[in-house]
Formats: sequence, C-alpha cells, structure tokens
Amino acid sequence: MMENKAPAIRIRGLSKWYGDFEALKSVDLDIQQGEFYGLLGPNGAGKSTTIHILTGLANFSVGDVRVLGHDVISDFRFTRTNIGLAVQEFNFDPFFSIEKLLTLQGGYFGLQKQRAVERAKDLLQQFGLYEKRKQDYRKLSGGMKRRLQIAKALVHEPTILILDEPTAGVDVELRHMLWDYLRRLNDEGVTILLTTHYIEEAEQLCERVSIINRGEIIAEGAPHQLMDAMGMGCIELQLHEQPEHLPDMFNGYDARLEDNMIRIRVEHPNKELPKLLTRVNAENIDLYEVRIRESSLEDVFVKLTGKSMAEEAVNGQS
Amino acid sequence: MDSRKYGGFLTILQRELGRFFTLYKQTILPSIITASLYLFIFGFALQSRIGTIKGVSYLQFILPGLAMMAVINNGYSNTASSLYQAKQLSFIEDILIAPISATEAALAYILGGAARGFINGGFILLLGGIAFNIHFHNLVLTFVLMMIVSVAFSSIGLIFGLQAENWDHVMLLITFAITPLVYVGGVFYSIEMLPLEWLKTASLFNPLYYMVNGLRYGTLGVYDTSPLWSIVMAVVLTGVSFAAGVYLFYRGYKIKS
Repeated sequence: MMENKAPAIRIRGLSKWYGDFEALKSVDLDIQQGEFYGLLGPNGAGKSTTIHILTGLANFSVGDVRVLGHDVISDFRFTRTNIGLAVQEFNFDPFFSIEKLLTLQGGYFGLQKQRAVERAKDLLQQFGLYEKRKQDYRKLSGGMKRRLQIAKALVHEPTILILDEPTAGVDVELRHMLWDYLRRLNDEGVTILLTTHYIEEAEQLCERVSIINRGEIIAEGAPHQLMDAMGMGCIELQLHEQPEHLPDMFNGYDARLEDNMIRIRVEHPNKELPKLLTRVNAENIDLYEVRIRESSLEDVFVKLTGKSMAEEAVNGQS
Repeated sequence: MDSRKYGGFLTILQRELGRFFTLYKQTILPSIITASLYLFIFGFALQSRIGTIKGVSYLQFILPGLAMMAVINNGYSNTASSLYQAKQLSFIEDILIAPISATEAALAYILGGAARGFINGGFILLLGGIAFNIHFHNLVLTFVLMMIVSVAFSSIGLIFGLQAENWDHVMLLITFAITPLVYVGGVFYSIEMLPLEWLKTASLFNPLYYMVNGLRYGTLGVYDTSPLWSIVMAVVLTGVSFAAGVYLFYRGYKIKS
C-alpha cells in the first residue's frame, strides 16, 4: 500500500438528489493517506450521504469518487476491501453470537476462515468484549454495542476507517477511550474519516476538517486554521461588583455587560488580553477574575451560516 | 477459484444455509409434517374411493405435488424472510459495503433459499418414495426440475423480500398467489378429472400446474400435459425471476439510498 501515493479519498463534483431534494451539491473532498479527517456539520447536512456513497450504501447522481486512486463503482472490490465502515445505527445480524458475527464479517470481506476467527478473537479482546463472545448482541449494553460496531469495521484490517458519528450517545469515559483507540490506529497508519456534529470531537481528533451544511462544503482546513481565520474568541472579565453601565473604555469593542461580567468578543483573545488588562488597570476597574474562551469550530459555523449547528439541524430536517 | 475474491459469496451462502439448518424446526420439519398430514388424511381417506389414476395409486399420485409444494413454499419463504430481516435490521449493509458484486450477493441468497426448497421437497419424495414403494421414473429429470423450480421461487422470494416493508408483505404472495395456485395446479387431482372443460383450460394458464405435472412425470412417469412444456415453463420462470432479482439487487431497490 505504501507505494500507492494516491489520496485515500478523492471526490470531485459529487451531487446526489433524493427526488427534488439535492442532498449533495457538487462536493469536492481530498483526504490524504494517514490523515485523521473530520466531516463536521449539523444533522441532515449530507455527512452520512457522502460516506454512504464512498462505501456502496448509496448510489449517486453525478461525480467522480475515488479511493486510493480507484473508482468506487468500477473497482469496488479494491475500494471496499480497503475501507472499514462503522455506521451510526447499530446493524448486527441477530442470528449469531457476537464472535460468529465478526467472523462472518471477515468472510464477507474475503478473509480465510482461520484468519477471520483470529481477527474476531483479537478484536473482542481489544474492545473488552471477549467475555461476552458467545452471547448475541442484544445482551450487550449500549456502550458495548458501540465498541462492537467499531470492531466489526476493523475485522478485515482496512487501511481507511470511516466512522459515522462514532460517539453518538456514549458516555464521557467511553468517548475518551474510543478517541484514544482511534488515535492509536491513526498512528499505526490507518486513515480515519469521521463524521460528527460534536465540535469537541472534531477539534480534539482531526488534523483537518470540512464543515458541511445543506449539502455543501462551506469551509475546509485544519481546525486551528479555521478558528484563527474565521472564529471569534471571547474574553470574560468578572468584576467584584456590578457596574451601573458598561464602562466607556469598551466602546470600541464588541462588548456586553451581563450582571457583573463583561463579555468581549475578539478575534484573538490571547493577543488581545494583555492590551486590554493594561487599560482595565488604568481605568481602575476592580477585577475579580479573567477568563478566556477560545474560539471554536462552532464559531466558525456561526460566522459562515449565521446560525448555530443546532438551529441548522432543525431546519435541515424539514 | 480465487478464494479471496469469492470468499464473500461463499460466506453469504454459508450463512444462509447455517441459518435454516439451525432453525430446522421452523424450516424443515413443518413441510414434512404438512405433507404427511395430507398423505394420511386425503390419501388414506380418498384412496379407496378414487382407486388409481393413470395406473398409480392415489397416494403415489399426490406425492410429487406435495413435494413440489414444499419446494415452492420453502424456496420462496427462506429468501423472502431472510432478505426482509437483513433489510429491516439493516445488517444487509454488511454485505452492501463488502467487496461482493450484486450478482454474487443475489446468487448467494437465491442458492441458500433454493437449497432449503430442494431439501424439503427431496425429503418428502424420499420418505414418500420409500413408504409407497415408488420406482423413480426419471431421477435426473426429478432432480433437475426440483432444482430449477427451487431457484425460480427463491428468486421470487428475493424480489418480494426486497419489496416487503412488513411481515404481511412477505406472506402476501404465499397467501394470495402461491397457495391457491398450487391447490388448483393439480396436486390432488388429474385435470382430466375436472368436470368442466373451461376449468381444464384455465389450469393450463397456471404456471404451477406445469411444475407439478413435470415432477409427476419425473417420479411416476405419468402426466396430463407433455413434460416438455413443464421444463420449458420452469426454465422460463427461473430465467425471468432470477434476472429480475439480480437486477433489483444491483439497482439497490429499497436497500440503497
């Protein structure tokens, strides 16, 4: 695989209609081998549709979709062998134990029986499910099912792992465990593409992200670049006492008084803070506490769309 | 054969066979019991009144029809219900994302269901053949016809399994088409015994009549209509339904968005 320098995923002009509804509007996407990449956007933005097209779960109307340089339609055996997919909704075969289920999954991907059995055992151990191997999936807790879902995507040792909302509905502890696991896989060379509507997840994990809204990619880049370029941070000055009105020195700022806190929105809070503090001291304002709120990808989203992701999710699903 | 390339196909087939062998109480025993009941109740009760038809005893006469009924019902049900469940519980996605072509996947499902049809029909013929001392007239034809028909109805099961959105849809075809057509397809009588000429003519438009007629020729050597027609009808039905099933799977009908 190493000699193949083609992008792990390359999408050009991808459009998809559901009847009259244009779910994807000429999407372009490039993900290099070994990257940890995020597709960020509200529910209904087109994230799942994109990965379904990559993996063979959805047909598409127009466009060119390649995995490691190979067309996903004409060379589907190659592209699908290289991709592991964990879909958002659990989709387990209920007739078999979880061990058998993983072995079957290996078989679907062409693994020899013996190899599939070994891989199933390995993954059950890695994900702490070995004790439950003889049970069917319905006996597992929600967190265990989530782990099983990811294990299933890995049986055939894909070079590209695609995860659709991998931590939707999991508790904080498991979320961090999964994040660590995914980072390790990525360190080992596996390209990872995940979709998420959790801002923090994208910021924590992804080297690059695309922000997608209403079927269009509206921003692309490393999270910190996007936040620097477009985000707005915030400095919060907590005062000992509530002033009668916003002190005049803040007139040039995007500042608001909220009880005894002054909230100032600035592009680069870290750079702005020293200047601001000097002036605050000169004005003899009685500070109790200072906080910096870094800009987030959510700010980027708001800046680009004028709405929060939560608002867009509601609108997008109409 | 490159085992990696066709490993996916073989795994689906293995899963389908594994599923119905594991569930043999639901998938194999019922049709044997049903056939036995028909034989005992109809057969013994009517045997003495009807005597022989075309030189064979009534019990022998109805046996191939009962076997064909099992082939048809089981071939259809297995594929229809297996595919419906895979679709409903979304684990069909495991197959759609795997390096398996639509043709291989459809073929694996169809062969899995066809195996159940064939095994059910085969058991009934075998047990009945021993019980009623039947010397099979043309074993090759018997075999081939059962195989072709089981593939045909398994393919029809694939189509209806893809189409179905609830269990009623899965059972619809059995209740309103397959069962009535089998009953009026000459399982229990020779169409020459029908009292009205138009009933005889109407039977000739029933495709299942040809399946029963053909198997009766294969097992007993007796027939109402030339067995050649039975083979032609079976091949045409299989070809059309198989092609349609594979095409719908390829298009991702109701399984891909």
